[in-house]
Amino acid sequence: MTTILPSAVPGPSPSDVADPMSTRGGVGDRIYGFLRRIPVAVLWIIVGIWTLPTLGLLINSLRPRDLQRSTGWWKVPGQLGDLTFENYTSVFEASSSAKLTDALLNSLAIAIPATIIPIAVAAFAAYAFAWIDFKGRKWMFIATVSLLAIPLQVALIPLLQLYVNGAHLTLPVLDKTITLIPDLNLAGTTTAVWLTHTGFALPFAIFLLHNYISGLPKDLFEAARIDGANHVTTFVRLVLPLSVPVLAAFAIFQFLWTYNDYLIANTMAGANPDATPMTIRIANLAGDFGANEHLLPAAGFAQAFVPVVVFFALQRYFVRGILAGSVKG
Amino acid sequence: MGKIISTLITIVVAVVGSAAVWVGANLVFNQVRRNWSTFRGLVGAIGGFALGALLAGNRVITGTQAGEDPFRLEAFLRWVWLPLLLAAVVGVWFGAVTKIPQDVPRLVISLVLAAAVAIGLGLFVADGYHPALKTVPLIAWTAGGVVLGGIVGTLRRHSPIPGALLGGALGALAGGWGSARIGDGPTVEAIAAFLIPALFVGARVGLPNIPALQQRLVIDRRSRAVIFLGPALLFIFATLVVPTLRTIYLSFLDDSSDSYVGFENYTETFQNPDTWDASQWTDVFTSRLFWIGLVGLALALFFGLKNKAMSGRAVEIGNSTTMPLVIGALFVAFALFSTLRGTISNNLWWVVTVTFLSTALGLAIAVLSDGRKLERTAKSLIFMPMAISLVGASVIWRFMYVARDTSQDQTGLMNALWTSLGKLSTGSGIPTYLIGILLAAFVVWLVVTLARQLTAGNGPAATLAGAAVLLFGWITLRYWGILGEGIGGFAVRDDGGVVAQTVDFPQHQPFNNMWLMVVLIWMQTGFAMVILSAAIKAVPTEYIEAAKMDGATTQQVFWRITVPQIAPTIGVVVTTLIVTVMKVFDIVKVMTNGQFGTQVLANDMYQQAFQFTNSGRGAALAVILFLSVLPVMILNIRRMQKEA
Repeated sequence: MTTILPSAVPGPSPSDVADPMSTRGGVGDRIYGFLRRIPVAVLWIIVGIWTLPTLGLLINSLRPRDLQRSTGWWKVPGQLGDLTFENYTSVFEASSSAKLTDALLNSLAIAIPATIIPIAVAAFAAYAFAWIDFKGRKWMFIATVSLLAIPLQVALIPLLQLYVNGAHLTLPVLDKTITLIPDLNLAGTTTAVWLTHTGFALPFAIFLLHNYISGLPKDLFEAARIDGANHVTTFVRLVLPLSVPVLAAFAIFQFLWTYNDYLIANTMAGANPDATPMTIRIANLAGDFGANEHLLPAAGFAQAFVPVVVFFALQRYFVRGILAGSVKG
Repeated sequence: MGKIISTLITIVVAVVGSAAVWVGANLVFNQVRRNWSTFRGLVGAIGGFALGALLAGNRVITGTQAGEDPFRLEAFLRWVWLPLLLAAVVGVWFGAVTKIPQDVPRLVISLVLAAAVAIGLGLFVADGYHPALKTVPLIAWTAGGVVLGGIVGTLRRHSPIPGALLGGALGALAGGWGSARIGDGPTVEAIAAFLIPALFVGARVGLPNIPALQQRLVIDRRSRAVIFLGPALLFIFATLVVPTLRTIYLSFLDDSSDSYVGFENYTETFQNPDTWDASQWTDVFTSRLFWIGLVGLALALFFGLKNKAMSGRAVEIGNSTTMPLVIGALFVAFALFSTLRGTISNNLWWVVTVTFLSTALGLAIAVLSDGRKLERTAKSLIFMPMAISLVGASVIWRFMYVARDTSQDQTGLMNALWTSLGKLSTGSGIPTYLIGILLAAFVVWLVVTLARQLTAGNGPAATLAGAAVLLFGWITLRYWGILGEGIGGFAVRDDGGVVAQTVDFPQHQPFNNMWLMVVLIWMQTGFAMVILSAAIKAVPTEYIEAAKMDGATTQQVFWRITVPQIAPTIGVVVTTLIVTVMKVFDIVKVMTNGQFGTQVLANDMYQQAFQFTNSGRGAALAVILFLSVLPVMILNIRRMQKEA
């Protein structure tokens, strides 16, 4: 807005004062222009460097095994006729250990519940912390948010033990052990993975949604109460529709987080080949450098395809989710 | 196909099941206002189901066998009848009894039903689970429960009787089953062990107890808080609170969690040379990085004294002291980290390098792209690695780093560039001289720039140009063979011939660590850039316009206005990155699995706990990781609470 002002005022504009060089003509002007352009060039050089690794993977995934093993991917201009989808078909159809179709389904079986359930659970809790009056509300909220400080590594060992053995409580004085949660055979299932993700997501999700939901105007809730709406109605009819932006931002963040996760999946389900998601398959494929190495680029790109599409399609929400997620521990 | 269907079923069951429980709970408590007896009946049914599941699960009454999947159909049918039957019976008992208006018949009927349930249960106790009751503890526990329940009731300003009855029931359960020797008692005692608590519950249900509307409204409201919070708290307790406490507990036990070993796991971790190895620290004096860093620090001292004399401040954001100070400190730190080996040193190295470079690069790109043509495209491309998994990124960079036998073409970009640079600088063709001349011209241009910035008195730009002159001047001198043989990936044979030589980036110690860090920097720069870019755009234009009016140069505007304005955001980026980097795992796991001196805390913890099955050491490492991110996280959380 302020940049429009100078043109209305006769005489030198502030920008001319700041850049005295730009008023000169001739050689000096051209040198100045050259210098001004350098940062743009630097920027695009950086962009190029940043894109090269991904581009290389994409090109390599389309090159047959022999070419991958004999020349670098940057020699592709002379090899355009040899490009093929062979690697992708063998990655998805082969009966070998590299088969990815099942792994993709496992990834979705982890990421979808691990996104929907924490959203629902956290939305309930955020609503309760924001708009239901009960004793100890404030300190309970602070305690919940403080749990953000716990790195997930800290909970892994006992959680795996829980999924393997169930939970048993030994009563202190009586010296009798009772089973609280039986051994549900969860170890090595996708269920164990998303249950874990759900728990770890909650403190952050509650914090994020609470920020938003507690900021909704108080009048709305009073009007709803006067109209006879109970908490469930208020929550379903009023809070959920109004919170769509924050729910979407969290959903995208959480979906990518769980879809891309390796540590939790490998701990809880890494031992069972039938339940492993894409990330583990690819890491294992990378681990045995050998016969299947030429499939690795195709597999890697297939795994990255979902998040990259989500990224380009929903970039605005994605950025918002990342911004919000920047506080997650 | 079958896999798709079973995946769908899993997802639907998980989502719908959770939703059903929540909606069901709300429907139950909807009955509080209008229909007290229905509410009571539903509560009874749920309680009966829970009791049945507990009994069947602990195999007190014929249920599943050990080691059997309780959700396989046959096994499921073998135990599920008991919780269902108990739910029906107890539900009807609670609901029907509440409907009876006269006091005495209600109490009598309730007691009779309670006795019936207890006798039924007692008759079906499985072999080997009959308790041999001990009278004294049974009576003591029951009396204790009655007294305690009564006191609690009185303290809550209610009648003491309901509380006493409930306390009696719990006390009798604990005293009867807990103190008894389980296994070979007579059936009568099994019946008695159920009958005594059941009668207390029966009496409690038989009391005149339809609370006033006011009281029911209170129950309604409080129940909503529990229903809305319950699932979240349940998950948080089960997956975060209890496991964290248990990890701390496990870290004081031995590898199989059998005996208490005190702080042994911690002392062993810290005394292990893989964790901390300072034996090679004198190598730092032969490290080139160290001496370059010292030169930087000396320069910083020189400029600092000069600035102090001129403006009274030795160090100020953007003055000529800053650049050599930062670069010098960074180089000295790199030199130290490369000589002090071990997990702790690696982790600190990661934190310093990735945090600093990602933030600095992110800030630089945010500034460079601000207001340019195609800004959004450029930023999208830089941000994109953020969407890729850490495993995927590691795979991508593995291909960048591939080193092949020098008799063949290099297929990894980095080694291809490195070996062709070596070929170029040691060769003698037209391309060699062309590149050499271009390099020399570039250095001349840099020297001219340095001179111009020096005469203009532009401190930071001059230091930057000076550093560039030193770096590229050295490269050019080596390239022309004036200083040493040349530059790039080559080796000189004994007969004087030159052959290509590759670098095995992930294995070449100790700087392989930095090649692994490149992967994370590649991913996190986009994150820093997006956040800082948003902050830069939020700096009020009035400030910048006003400064320009007063004759400030673009550089001054940046260092004196933009940077102080976005300082809090830089703090956010730095703290977030520190936490992320401290926990780095996937990259190390996939690229080297901690070999070749690249071990980090998170991978060490994973290996100890899940590969070497040493849960004590693993837990101790997890606790160390927790404690090391705790200060930064506390900072983060306090900042967040201020913002909220």
